[in-house]
Amino acid sequence: MTAPSQDDAVMQEAGTGDGGGASCAAIGGETPPLQPAGFVLRSTEFRRGREQGWRDLEGLLAKAERGGLGALSTEELQRLPLLHRSAMSALSVARAIALDRHLLLYLENLGLRSFLVVYGPRQGILESCREFFTRAFPSAVRAAGIHVLIAFLSIVVGVAAGFMLTVGDESFLAAIVPPDLAGDRGISSTREQLLQHEIFAPWPGFTRSFITFANFLFQHNTLIGIMMFGLGIAAGVPTLMLLVYQGLIFGAFIALHANRDLLVDFLGWVSIHGVTEFGAIILCGAGGLVIAQHILFPDRYSRVDNLAVYGRSASQLALGAVLLFFIAGLIEGGMRQLVSDTAGRFAIAALTAVAWFSYFAFAGRGLKP
Amino acid sequence: MSAARNGAADDKVARFLDGVSRNRREILTPEGVLLPVDLADHGERAVALVIDLFIWLCVTVLLYLGIIALIVGGMAAEVAVALILLLAFIVRNLYFVYFELAWQGATPGKWVSGLRVIDRRGGPLTPSAVFARNLTREVEMFLPVGLMVSVGITNSWESLALLVWLGLFAALPMFNRDRMRGGDFIAGTIVIAIPKRALLADLVASRSRYSFSSQQLAAYGAFELQILEELLRRPRSAQTAALLSEVCGKICAKIGWPTPIPAADVVGFLTEFYSAERAFLERERLYGRHREDKNSRLG
Repeated sequence: MTAPSQDDAVMQEAGTGDGGGASCAAIGGETPPLQPAGFVLRSTEFRRGREQGWRDLEGLLAKAERGGLGALSTEELQRLPLLHRSAMSALSVARAIALDRHLLLYLENLGLRSFLVVYGPRQGILESCREFFTRAFPSAVRAAGIHVLIAFLSIVVGVAAGFMLTVGDESFLAAIVPPDLAGDRGISSTREQLLQHEIFAPWPGFTRSFITFANFLFQHNTLIGIMMFGLGIAAGVPTLMLLVYQGLIFGAFIALHANRDLLVDFLGWVSIHGVTEFGAIILCGAGGLVIAQHILFPDRYSRVDNLAVYGRSASQLALGAVLLFFIAGLIEGGMRQLVSDTAGRFAIAALTAVAWFSYFAFAGRGLKP
Repeated sequence: MSAARNGAADDKVARFLDGVSRNRREILTPEGVLLPVDLADHGERAVALVIDLFIWLCVTVLLYLGIIALIVGGMAAEVAVALILLLAFIVRNLYFVYFELAWQGATPGKWVSGLRVIDRRGGPLTPSAVFARNLTREVEMFLPVGLMVSVGITNSWESLALLVWLGLFAALPMFNRDRMRGGDFIAGTIVIAIPKRALLADLVASRSRYSFSSQQLAAYGAFELQILEELLRRPRSAQTAALLSEVCGKICAKIGWPTPIPAADVVGFLTEFYSAERAFLERERLYGRHREDKNSRLG
């Protein structure tokens, strides 16, 4: 506890010095013997006075590094920052007065270790989750408004292009949609097949829809979303391409169903989960675009610094999107088969749209980070 | 000034003795102290990653064994497979995040190889930074590996081109000074190595049999003093003994020591010379006459 004041004393001592005892070359000129009996070094005395505190700190650090801060008792927790500060101040003093390399390296190492414990991640996983959903996620979405808009428009462009290309020539669908995503839907599907096997398919049972199917959809979509975000580091071009491509697929399917006079039923079938799913895709894309923007146009900072500032909030978009994908997977895998009329599906779609919109628009406003 | 000298980004003593010095950066702590940190080597990071992947693989294999156990135990195969796949997905994506949050920036692999993730500017490591640096792992690591497999199978040009392109991102740590990968750039983090150091006894001799004049002691500076310290701290062996007696001879010649030192007393003489030299240089330094090395002028 007294260490800081001790250090001050040493500093003072070091500053004023005692002009007497030391006969240095400049004054002496002659060569008087310097060490009468044994060596009394200021740095050695300095070390002797503080060594116990450093060893105590080392013990606390070993405990905290192994079991987290929770492993320390209340009394130890109170001592930790005091010991940390006195070790840091000892390092500063040692740099000024000591030439003992081992001592300096040891103190630097000790200071770094205690710095990492004292200023380490404060929040546990649960606490970070709560903070994330009540404040960080919606405010990150609000901050990325323009990127969300660009991502949204890219998808709209894709949908329009896919629709127009497929509505005249359905072979386009087979060209762009990977076979495992198309399932048994394709050029040869008839209106009745689509109605019975897709849009109003019978309820396949709880486990099959909620667990198996929803799970597959969630993993597949999340992978695409994370890729969209991560590829933002490649200047955003692949992110935009993926966004447009998602739109193309969707547009092609709309055209396929429109040609068979199923437009409204198909939109109902898609929108029940599509609002959430496209929301998530847009957020991932927006995250990728935020990163791309700050790589391409770093305004006042260097590219690396700029990325460090904005990359975190961009990653929050992608992270929140994973949750949206999860909900979308549940709706798509299960709810859609439970609600089997188009009007009901549209109602749920509208409900989710309003819910998400108000969440992103209003949640966590005025809360400080 | 003295911080930059002693805590320097460039460790002259280590470079002189070992021929190499570790790549260092400095962070500024909230107390206003500059702390040098050693960047982790590519090799150390690769070892950490291999250990983490091995643990991940073991957990995944265990999960697959779990599937078999559940199916044998009478659970519907579909449900068991789905549950396990979901768990495997969560493990793959949350393994790094969980440990870097709970173990203060270290996964088990990093822990074993003595590495830590820290904020590049010395701020606290926030959860959002941890999430950010691990979200891109999918693109940097799992995707290229999957592509490599698909190039091997399908031999298609598109996959090959994509592989080369993503490979460049995976190799990002090779191309920048701070050895940051894509995720580190996004999160503003670096990976550092923290060696464990114990506090050893001070080398200063407790009694003195030789005495040195201040002119003799003025022959050297702080750099030579610390080289001598490192040599004296080396474990005693025939090689060290030979080195020390060579050093002893050079010092005696330089300071004009009249009598030859018997081989048995080389360590004792050098220890005392070290103590006297350190006492002299530290005192000189207090008076503002710091001497960097033997070539810099005193005062």
